[in-house]
Amino acid sequence: MAGSTNKTVHDIFQSMEYGPASSSTATAQSWLESHSRSLGLFLDGTFVCPSDRQTSTVNDASGQRLWTAVCAAEEDVSLAASSSVGGFKVWNELSCHQRARVFHRFVSSLQRHGQCLTELCELAQAPSSVSALVRLAQYYSGWAQLKDALVPDWTPRCGGCGCVYGVVAVAVSDDCSLYALLLKVLPALAVGNAVIVAAGSGTALPALLTASILREAGLPVGVLNVLTGKDLSLGVRVARDPNVSCVTYTGNKQDGEILSRETAGLGVPLSLSLSTSAICPFIIFDSADIDSAVDGVIEAAFRKKKDWQWILCVQESVWDGVVARLKVRMAGMKCLPLLAESDRPIVDAAVQEAQQQGATVIQPCPPPSSLSLYPPTVLWGVAPSCPCVVSPPAGPLLPTLSFRTATEGITIANHSPHGQAASIWTEDLTLSLECAKSLSVGTVWVNSHSVFDPSLCLSGTKESGNCANGGPAGLFQFLRPALSPSLSRSSPVPVNYAKFGTDGTQPTLPGAPEPADLAHDPRSYLHFVGGRPCKADSGRSVAVLAPGGGVIAYCPDGGRKDVRNAVEAAAKSQPGWKKRSAVSRAQSLYSLAESLELKRRDLALSLQAQTGILLEAAEMEVDLSISRLCDWAAHCDKEGGGVQSLPQSGSALSFPEPMGVMGVVLPDRSPLLSLVSLLGAALAAGNAVVMIPSEKYPLPALEFIQVLQSSAIPEGVVSIITGGRDQLTRALANHSVIQAIWYWGSKEGCQYLQYTCCSPLKSLWLHPEEVGDERGKDGGQDWACFHPSLMEEMWRQATHWKSVWIPTA
Amino acid sequence: MSARNPGMELDLEWVSRVRVNTQAVLKRAQQIQGRKLVKKQWEAAWLLRAVTCIDLTTLAGDDTPSNVHRLCLKATQPVRCDLLKAMDMQDKGITTAAVCVYPSRVADAVKSLKAANSSLPVASVATGFPAGQTPLKTRLEEVRLAVQDGAGEIDIVINRTLALTAQWEELYQELQHTVYRASLVAMMAGSDFIKTSTGKETINATYPVAIVMARAIRDYFLRTGHKVGFKPAGGIRTAKDSLVWLTLMKEELGEEWMGPHLFRLGPAPCWRTSRQVYHHVTGRYAAYQELPLA
Repeated sequence: MAGSTNKTVHDIFQSMEYGPASSSTATAQSWLESHSRSLGLFLDGTFVCPSDRQTSTVNDASGQRLWTAVCAAEEDVSLAASSSVGGFKVWNELSCHQRARVFHRFVSSLQRHGQCLTELCELAQAPSSVSALVRLAQYYSGWAQLKDALVPDWTPRCGGCGCVYGVVAVAVSDDCSLYALLLKVLPALAVGNAVIVAAGSGTALPALLTASILREAGLPVGVLNVLTGKDLSLGVRVARDPNVSCVTYTGNKQDGEILSRETAGLGVPLSLSLSTSAICPFIIFDSADIDSAVDGVIEAAFRKKKDWQWILCVQESVWDGVVARLKVRMAGMKCLPLLAESDRPIVDAAVQEAQQQGATVIQPCPPPSSLSLYPPTVLWGVAPSCPCVVSPPAGPLLPTLSFRTATEGITIANHSPHGQAASIWTEDLTLSLECAKSLSVGTVWVNSHSVFDPSLCLSGTKESGNCANGGPAGLFQFLRPALSPSLSRSSPVPVNYAKFGTDGTQPTLPGAPEPADLAHDPRSYLHFVGGRPCKADSGRSVAVLAPGGGVIAYCPDGGRKDVRNAVEAAAKSQPGWKKRSAVSRAQSLYSLAESLELKRRDLALSLQAQTGILLEAAEMEVDLSISRLCDWAAHCDKEGGGVQSLPQSGSALSFPEPMGVMGVVLPDRSPLLSLVSLLGAALAAGNAVVMIPSEKYPLPALEFIQVLQSSAIPEGVVSIITGGRDQLTRALANHSVIQAIWYWGSKEGCQYLQYTCCSPLKSLWLHPEEVGDERGKDGGQDWACFHPSLMEEMWRQATHWKSVWIPTA
Repeated sequence: MSARNPGMELDLEWVSRVRVNTQAVLKRAQQIQGRKLVKKQWEAAWLLRAVTCIDLTTLAGDDTPSNVHRLCLKATQPVRCDLLKAMDMQDKGITTAAVCVYPSRVADAVKSLKAANSSLPVASVATGFPAGQTPLKTRLEEVRLAVQDGAGEIDIVINRTLALTAQWEELYQELQHTVYRASLVAMMAGSDFIKTSTGKETINATYPVAIVMARAIRDYFLRTGHKVGFKPAGGIRTAKDSLVWLTLMKEELGEEWMGPHLFRLGPAPCWRTSRQVYHHVTGRYAAYQELPLA
């Protein structure tokens, strides 16, 4: 830069170059100076600088010392946690209106200190727009006001037993922006939780300032504490504190996996948004406004700090037009800074490899000798399997693929483990809506990209996350139905993850236990895989014991291969089931209820034989099950999403979509009613389910197979596999097609699932059974009670939200 | 002026295939307007470049030889000599791009410029300016006369009745499609410059419209290899506006389209630009009388 200031007017007159970009950071610098560039932690409503802590110095882009971060030690974490407990008590006592007023004041403070915050984000190299933050705060101030009115039967994430408080830990990775952080913090605060932020280096500075702005706006002491540290281990330490009741994470995939493994078995729900490492398709159809699309892709792919990696997919018929425009538009572009000099060899290698595989490289200038800069680069015509498409390095690279038809384009775009977002460009309304439906991503932007609004859900599918942020759906991460029992904290037990579920059940050997009733031979049941009753792949079966101890039946001893076959059939039939109209799904569920009605007596008898309850009680459970199925049938066409009103002009749709193929490990308690309740929720939302009946009480589920067969549920949508619970849980956890697992069972099982299901990512709904509770209180759930909030929770667990942006002029 | 655009056969298929997404164009316009403007000596240099692209214009009913003469002299020296000297730009030929007058004043302008020893071209509006609502025969005659009098450049107004009804029945409000298509047709017919508007109407040169036209120019260039110039007219009020226009050209078409051979600013208040230059040189804001009079 020093040389460029000597340029004369005449030089510039000739070259017509842009001047050096100068943005003042005076306000932020003086704020930092006022804290001697060493802010410490934000604890109990004030900045605290504990002595004799490890520190780490953070530099700005030019290598100058920006500030010194304190690395929170163990005692700081427990201090923060106890401060949060105090904060929660005060905050939760306030009325909705009082909380909303704090949010209101926060909005105006945010506007007042906007300049300082912008500059600070700029300095921390994680730019965030203040207007977006203001809009976020405004949106959630509305929810703070209306929480009791609109979600009355839900409470903050605290335990019912009085020992656990609504303390949410928000952990972020280093490369996360302030917006992404506040997208977690503000909804958690709005519904009445206290929050501990474990900030990464990129967000620490703006997070500290935000915390002090919130304090200035009147947020009670302790409601928001901010801890800083060197790496993610801080997040893990915060999650381990016994006062924390819910952990949520946003950032890159590697850190998310670590957090997930490290917190397995703690008994805290963990939700992950792995958006920063997502790879998103940018699809240009031949019916697009090509010039605008090219502008869009240049803006999206070649910015200093990208939200995501983009892959450009161009329809063959406009292939030449797009490349010609890209060349013209890129001609004058300057090199962009890489995040780290160490990225350069990786970028070089990726470009070279793409070239060897036949890609054309389009660059405005050759890569400079300086290692920290790289020119915007289009890798034109790469194969979908090329490493630069599968795992593009961090840098201004844009791999480009071609496709022939719209269907092929969607197939290519969906052929990825990521499911964050996609941008599609076409002037054809039908095509764009069809595309938006069939892309397996959380957000679809039509003729636009990277626009956000807090009223719309920003959630990833597949590897990109297992929770919803923003929108009404984003609140439920931090709420639980008042009637449902909370998870209680526990400490991890030693689980051998490599061995879990590999032991297999004891096969029934000839001459083993006595039948319960000598007059009747125990019946041998078949389980239900892909729409057909069949034996276990292993050929073995296990004895089902009556409450008294005798054998009443034999059921197949299912295993890995049975699960594989069931998932295969489910994956085949699920798209058709999802595509059916809600009305038609409702009809199928009603038919299932009717079939159950016809088999009422058989089911009641099997319930009685299995659990030893009175026949009247068994009949009552069957009747309740029939009514439950009708509840879900009726629910099918009631929640279809809707059109959101936005500050920008145009429309945005937000609608629920099924998870896909789900695995359900059923509880022991109310074996028929629980099965029907969960099955109904999953099917009503459009999922296919692989169900594992209770190992102890499988009979009613096996009897239910006949009901399924005589109903109008399509083949393959439901499978029921019996056998060892741990064994089958392991099989479900290790099948990548399964997107969600609902689990009732042992603590070890929960821990195993949390540990295993972070890669590939699944969404988990875990219910560890209370040890020593003989009444079989599976996580305390009373299945006969079906409060609307419980119904809603089940339904929310069976769906994820998709947002479609259709901006217009 | 660069190599002439020879035009081409009217390719209606190309014209009808054009797609413009208004929302995306508006966003792009916002983005260009939102760019941080150049500062310090960059600002001065850019302003001077803007001056060299101005078509200094008088299109009033009461134009007489005397005010046309004054205009011509100002065109030859739009920025005060001492200011130019301070920036070491006094001998770099800082004049406006052309003088633009009604056909009947062309002869006066040519005379004045000759007297001032200047080779600045005289442009004339023609063909029923500004409405374009006169018969073809009179329009052709008008052009012929203006050229005879020494006009080097002619601004032609397209007949919008045709553009709007004959082939493209899109609504007039749906400017974008119409603009792109009209631009393409004009270029196919051999125009060397296309212009946003006459500068005489309420809706003038807006950035979104300009982006659409710039894209049409780019499209035409990619297809035929001919570079067609661009002239926004009307609505350019401040020095800042002219900088935004230059930015737009740089972003959309590249540096080549930032010189007078491919870029003209229509009626623009030269004195505001001079005032900014004055500020750059002296650090003070000039009073109106300290700047050259039009």
